[in-house]
Amino acid sequence: MERENLANRAYTGDIDPELLDFLNQYVDSFIKWDLMRFFFNNPHTIDTVDNIARYAGRNPETVEQELAELAMRGLLEETHMGTLVVYALAADPEIRDQLARFIQASEDRQFRIRAIYHVIKGGY
Amino acid sequence: MQAEERAVTGVPGFDAMLRGGFLPRSANLLEGAPGCGKTTLGMQFIHYGATHGEPGLILTFEQFPEQYYRDAAGFGWDFRELERRRLLQVIMSSPEVTKADLERFNGRIAGLVSNMGVKRILVDSISQFERMTDDPVELRNLLHGFLNALRREGLTALFTREAYVLLGDEQREEDETESSMSFLVDSYVMLRYVEIESAIHRAIIVLKMRGSAHDTHIRQFEIGPHGLVVQEPFRGREGILSGTPQYMAESFIKAFVRR
Repeated sequence: MERENLANRAYTGDIDPELLDFLNQYVDSFIKWDLMRFFFNNPHTIDTVDNIARYAGRNPETVEQELAELAMRGLLEETHMGTLVVYALAADPEIRDQLARFIQASEDRQFRIRAIYHVIKGGY
Repeated sequence: MQAEERAVTGVPGFDAMLRGGFLPRSANLLEGAPGCGKTTLGMQFIHYGATHGEPGLILTFEQFPEQYYRDAAGFGWDFRELERRRLLQVIMSSPEVTKADLERFNGRIAGLVSNMGVKRILVDSISQFERMTDDPVELRNLLHGFLNALRREGLTALFTREAYVLLGDEQREEDETESSMSFLVDSYVMLRYVEIESAIHRAIIVLKMRGSAHDTHIRQFEIGPHGLVVQEPFRGREGILSGTPQYMAESFIKAFVRR
């Protein structure tokens, strides 16, 4: 156990604390990561699970739960329009800034490897 | 009574065809074959407005917003910067969500109209509404409701629509959306590919403009480094909209001499 924690720290120890918080708070699957990148690149998207799944090239059943969880955690906004449930990126500029920092950090290979390890290990 | 100021498109030569631009709060249809310049003309209209006191929205049902940012940058239009300055927003959505949004009180689009002072909208493309129903009457009602909701918000709207023919004389089936839209909109502009001497040229014509005079010539246009530029009318040829025009003399001979 002790050895595992040390190994975890070796991978995630250098991550900026704010980015680590972001990882812990929002990124517990690669689908979520993928969706975050999609919303970062297309920040004014507002659509249903089915359409977002289509845009992301994913299966709606897979995406549905992930979108709902991101909305519960505050990264996305969930709105009910009659019979439709739609998702959009949260308008909060602080959350958008955090997302931008995370996506920009992901461009760095070292950070990406650490973050991937973090997601696989399910945080610590 | 003084005439209302037009919504200038900023497309050199095109505003003259429209006698100054689109009428404010009007619905305008831009139809053409894939790749002939509909979205570029639409982006030019939105860019001109955003940089001349009329913030705009681009509502995309097909392309990703990042494609608009990239394509616009190719013409020297910085859409990301305009978004940062709240003069533009590129929204990706679907017809059903947009319809539901416009139907509810103080929806997202209405909110942007009041918060950003949005005056223009590009809907790219209206063809996606066809996915919502197979019933032509229902489709016409849907389109009518959508156009009226945008008018209610005070927007000058430009709708692109795919024409599923590359050149004008190909056979096609009855097109319900075209017949519905051409009645519902205030103006109807067509872009066409034209083959002349083994080269493809582009043509533009204003077929209809409710409440205004307009140029009735079929003109050539080019897509240059800064967007569309409308040029002179095709001279000495006829049958332009067929896609394969002929010299007038040839037509004369065919009609009268070779009988």
